[in-house]
Formats: sequence, C-alpha cells, structure tokens
Amino acid sequence: MATMKVEIVTPEAALWAGEATALVARSSDGDFTILPQHTPTVGDIVPGIVRVQTAEGELSFAVHGGYFQVGPDDHEGVTRATVLAGVAERTTDIDVVRAQAAKEQAEADIATSRLEAGDHAAQQLAEAALERAELRLRAASK
Amino acid sequence: MAGGQERILRRRIKSVQATRKITKAMELIAASQISRSQARIIANRPYRHGMQRIVIEAALGDPAAAKKLLAVPDKIDAAIVLVITGDRGLSGAYNSSVMRAGERLVRELRNQGTSVRLFAVGKKAAGFFRFRGMEVEQSFVGFADRPSFSDARFIAGVIAAPFIDGEVQQVLLVSTRFHSAGSQSVETEQLLPLSMPDVIIDDTPKPLKGYTEFEPEVEQLLLHLAPRALESEVFSALLEGAASFHTSQQRAMAAATENADELGLTLTRIMNRARQDSITTEIMEIVSGAEALRSGK
Repeated sequence: MATMKVEIVTPEAALWAGEATALVARSSDGDFTILPQHTPTVGDIVPGIVRVQTAEGELSFAVHGGYFQVGPDDHEGVTRATVLAGVAERTTDIDVVRAQAAKEQAEADIATSRLEAGDHAAQQLAEAALERAELRLRAASK
Repeated sequence: MAGGQERILRRRIKSVQATRKITKAMELIAASQISRSQARIIANRPYRHGMQRIVIEAALGDPAAAKKLLAVPDKIDAAIVLVITGDRGLSGAYNSSVMRAGERLVRELRNQGTSVRLFAVGKKAAGFFRFRGMEVEQSFVGFADRPSFSDARFIAGVIAAPFIDGEVQQVLLVSTRFHSAGSQSVETEQLLPLSMPDVIIDDTPKPLKGYTEFEPEVEQLLLHLAPRALESEVFSALLEGAASFHTSQQRAMAAATENADELGLTLTRIMNRARQDSITTEIMEIVSGAEALRSGK
C-alpha cells in the first residue's frame, strides 16, 4: 500500500513523524483527507482531532489550531504532509484529570472576569484555556 | 604591626575564595543550561522551517495579497522596535550589546523622522533606555531564561496589534542570534511586514510554481497566517536569546573564576612574605636584645 511521510510538529518539538497511509483533519473549509500523491496543498487546521492512519493502526492527535502543507518530498514520487500546530498532543498522552481541572479553573476564571467587567484580556485567555481543555477531554474520551 | 597586615590579607583571601565558589557555581549552572537551551533551538527548527515554507507557498500563491503583508512600505511614519535581552546580569556583554544596538537603531529611525515605540524583553532594558530618554512602552519580564511558546504568543499579540490597526508600518527586532556555542551576534531583523527568508532552507522542496491548492483562499489564509508566523519568529528569537545569554554568562563566570584564582594566588604570596617579614623582625629583635644584655654584663 502506498504511503507518504507525515510529520506533526509543534514549536517545542516534532511530536510525531513517520509513514502513513492517510491523514484526516478539518480545515476552515471543512473535513479533508490527505492520501499519498495528493496535490500540493497549503491550508489551515481548526482546533480538533487529527487522525493519522498507519500500517500499524490509527493515531490521533488533539491539535489546537494550526496549518498543514502537502508537497513532494525530496525523494521522487513521495508525498510529504506536515502539520504545524502551536499546541498539540497525542490523545493517549492527555491527562484527563488535569484537563478536567483546567476546564473547571477556566470556567471559574471566566465567571470572575465577567464580574470584573472590562478585563477583556483575562477573559480571552480563560476562554482559550477552556477551549483547549474541552478539546482535550473530547479527544481523550474517543 | 606586621601581624595586623597579615590578618587583613588572610581575610581578603577568604573573601576572594568565597566569591570564587559563587562564580564557579554560576559557571557550572550556565554550562548545564547551554546544552538544554541549545536542544530547544534544535527542537524548534522543524516548526520554524515549516512555517517559513508555508509563508513562501502562500506568498507565491497570491502575490497581490502577499504584497500587502510582505512588502516593505514606501514610507514608514511609525515603527515598533522589540529588543530581546536577559532578566539577569553577570553575563558579560550580552545585555549591553543588544541594548546598544537597539539604541543605535532607535536613534537612526528618529533621525529619519520615524516615530518609534519601544518594547523590550528582559528586566535590564527599561532602566537602560529610560536613562537615555527613550521610554520602553512595555517590558516583558520573568521568562528570558526559559521562554515558552505561550510567552512568544503573548508578545506577538501585543506587538502585532498596532501593525494590524495601521498605527505602525514596520516592526523591527533586535536580538542575539545563536549561531553556535562559539559564535553569537546581535542582529536587527524585520518582523513585520513578514520578511521572506531569502536563504531557503536546504531541506525545502523546490518551489511548487503556482500549482499549490489552498484551503481556505490564499488571501484569507495569509491574514491568519501572518500572526502565527510572527509568533514562530519571536519564539525562535527568544530561544536563541536564552541560549546566547547562558553561553555569555558561562564565559563571563569562567573568566571571573580564573581571576579569583589569580588574585588568591597573588594575595597568598603577599601574605606569606608579610608573615616571613614579621618573623624575621621578631628574630632580629630577640637577637639584638640578647646581644645588648650580654654586652651589658
């Protein structure tokens, strides 16, 4: 079966790299699947779950927004798909207890920043934190 | 009299040795931080290069939209200068060389009639620039040693806002670039409008000559891509700054330790001579005393 190179990269480290048969994610235009020999593409990825199908099975990653690029690799005829994300993790690495705690903390923060109306920056931070925590919980439960 | 001098010297030697212990410890700590921060730079490289590749692709995909974001404007009325320094001193010329380069840049821009808004990473910068009559609008402190990506995201958000609102036409960065453990240099770069990396990194696939597809449309993509690319550039500058800081501190502390060694040695010699002198004097006194007694008989 044809394979392509897939990399999931964050600013702190290359999260995963290897051979895969398909990459499934969602961009702001909708869900998409990248297969080997896909035409060169650049696009964004909305926060959600990115799945990578390999010969050994499916891996999934919680990706908190990012970009992807598909293009030919240095080797002739090999496709390379790169996912760039500011924050991302393997769903198996998610600490559910911590995510749950983070969610509650974020909800509390949102409540207090609403009370002290006008603290927009704090509210935005808390909302972003809540979004991340919810995505983690969603990803981990699947 | 001579005994008193000896005591003073002994005390000084002790204090030099105590200082040496501190500088030696700081040297070792800095050395351990170097390899860690270097590893972070290497770990960041795939992301940074990936981001640059995407910017290039997107810019090639829609040159018209890219021009707005990437081209240098003809007239720059206002600019932001971001200076990246460390939170701590005792690091040789690390802080001061960045700040001096920043000062030069600000002065140059002002001479050209550009108004400058100054932002700084690191505790040291605010005082330095205030003394020279340049007010730092906002200092980001507390993470210069170990920057995280969310720090970079925060800074990028603050400095990108005036650019997006059109208040400034250019965002410049003054920071220390880490080329290797032996070589770092202070450099000025343009952050916004995004500069096209002119040296295309060696693992880049050949430019795809315009048949790349975009999701969503390029114009919209570029709009959101620019802040992300800025974050990435700020983050790598922070990482390289931290690595340079540790390298510079290690070097400064190694020199200080060596100095303390030398000073201790010199002081010990002087002290030994002082002790020998006082012993000689004492013997002379005893001998001449005994001589006087004998001749008096």
